[in-house]
Amino acid sequence: MRWTSRIRFVFLAPAVIWVLAFTIFPLGYSLYLAFYKIEQKVEITRYKEPRLDDQGQPVLDSKGNPRMKNVVVKNQVSTSTFVGGTNFKRLFNDPQLFEAVKVTATFVFVAVPLELAFGFLLALLFNRHIFGRPVLRATMILPIFATPLAIGYTFFTIFYEEGGPLGWTGIPFLSDPNWALFSVILVDIWQWTPFCFLVILAALQGVPDELYEAARVDGAGPWQLFTNVLVPVLQPTIIIVLLLRLAEALKLFDIPFAMTGGGPGVATQPYSLLAFRTGLRFFDLGYASAMAYGLLVVTMIIVILFFRRLRETYD
Amino acid sequence: MTNNNQRSLGTVLTDTGLSLLAIAIAIIFIFPIYWAFSQSLRNPLDTFTVAGFGIPWVNFQPTLGNWIDQWSTPETVQSLANSTIIAVSASVLAIVLGTPAAYAVARFRFVRWKNRDITIWFLSQRVLPPVATVVPFYLLMRTLGLLDTHLSLILINATFVLPFVVVIMRQTFLDLPAELEEAAFVDGAGYFGAFWRVALPLAAPSMAATGLIIFAFTWNEFLFAVTLGSDKAITVPVHIAGAVDTRGVQFWFMGVRAMTVMVPPVLIAIIAQRYIVRGLTLGAVKG
Repeated sequence: MRWTSRIRFVFLAPAVIWVLAFTIFPLGYSLYLAFYKIEQKVEITRYKEPRLDDQGQPVLDSKGNPRMKNVVVKNQVSTSTFVGGTNFKRLFNDPQLFEAVKVTATFVFVAVPLELAFGFLLALLFNRHIFGRPVLRATMILPIFATPLAIGYTFFTIFYEEGGPLGWTGIPFLSDPNWALFSVILVDIWQWTPFCFLVILAALQGVPDELYEAARVDGAGPWQLFTNVLVPVLQPTIIIVLLLRLAEALKLFDIPFAMTGGGPGVATQPYSLLAFRTGLRFFDLGYASAMAYGLLVVTMIIVILFFRRLRETYD
Repeated sequence: MTNNNQRSLGTVLTDTGLSLLAIAIAIIFIFPIYWAFSQSLRNPLDTFTVAGFGIPWVNFQPTLGNWIDQWSTPETVQSLANSTIIAVSASVLAIVLGTPAAYAVARFRFVRWKNRDITIWFLSQRVLPPVATVVPFYLLMRTLGLLDTHLSLILINATFVLPFVVVIMRQTFLDLPAELEEAAFVDGAGYFGAFWRVALPLAAPSMAATGLIIFAFTWNEFLFAVTLGSDKAITVPVHIAGAVDTRGVQFWFMGVRAMTVMVPPVLIAIIAQRYIVRGLTLGAVKG
């Protein structure tokens, strides 16, 4: 009995086939859709037919002719026309899309680094002798698992400008475009800082005390301790956290959906929300698929950038 | 001696200060959840008039009226039942499919596609943005007549959490010594026997924790739930969103609904604490 038996494929196959079926199909199908313009039209046909009574006999009028009634049949038909690369070209000069990219980019370049920084600082704090650390740590886990949609609505009530708990500040948290973006970022930070914190704390607690001692014996100050000991030791962890955070930031959907609906205007409408609306609210399926591919390409670039590190991690 | 005492006094003061800081930060992070709870206990008339931190009995007279009202509407009960059916079925399905695959990657040696490549392939499915597949899945389910059914949401959610199961359980099996199964081979067990009777029982606690975590993911899922569910298969998050569209935000009911949907995943977070770091980093960091 060796670990090179062909039986290995029997163990592996169900999951691989399942994932292939449920990813290759939709990705292939949406690539196909992306080359078409799909329109939903309602075809209306009108005609007359004799009116029937309860027994199914035609109702006759006084002259003995059957009474007629007007019938209107509405039929939803979708037509698809091949349009080549038009949908992809539209991506590059769509002002609404440009705004959505800006919103998502703000999360990637502002919210994610802040979450990592705060998470790191909190991890350093919790790595000290803190009273009641297990309870406090458990408390910090809750935002990660709290239903994002419910969190969005809860923060909507917290940022409610007339009579909400922060109403006294007079800040237009949700009605001013810039403040609204700030508020959504704040909620994102609230939700994801604990994730960064928890993982970095776990990594910190894996650092042996001897390492600190050795550095101290060598006369390292706090800054040197940070740059020469902590950063190299934590680097693999931070890279994984960064990858996962970037991937999640590109998926951002639930919280803006609930909290601002992407508004005011399109000030807080991330890419995912725009693609969802284009496809499933306005039924511009071809263009929505092209948008989806745009996001997919960005995600793939990120995964490739991290690929070397991933191979080392899962070796 | 004096010097030493002063230092330890200094350390105690620092630790006290830092502990207070940590407590303050933890309060900030729990506050929104607490606020939803506080709102759920308020008489609708008190919504905007409650002073201070909205502490029950101190700032207002709490009532269970909103809870009773919400929990006695059939839509709430129906959505809770739907969410439970979908999340349990999807989690079981993902565990059943994913655990053997994880075992394969952890134990067997793959040659052409190396083990790590297979693992990263699964992991990359996890990174895939769901909005990229929502349109084709919607059209597929419409063609198959599966819109607004539990089945469509079970299938899709199982797909999303399956890579998670593979990567986490892989790490679990790697942490178990292969010698145990090899001893079973000597005793005449086959590959499936060794997996089923030796490895799986040892991996059971981790499997249970993984099951709980993916249950929470599925429970919280919204994008596909709102796309595919419209009436009979509405999950709790979709129920919450739907209630807002029709009547505007009723803060008191929103409090009840937010708490109702958040309690199961939050409890899971506390129960499965030990496995969460590993889970959330897909096995890359041991917690």
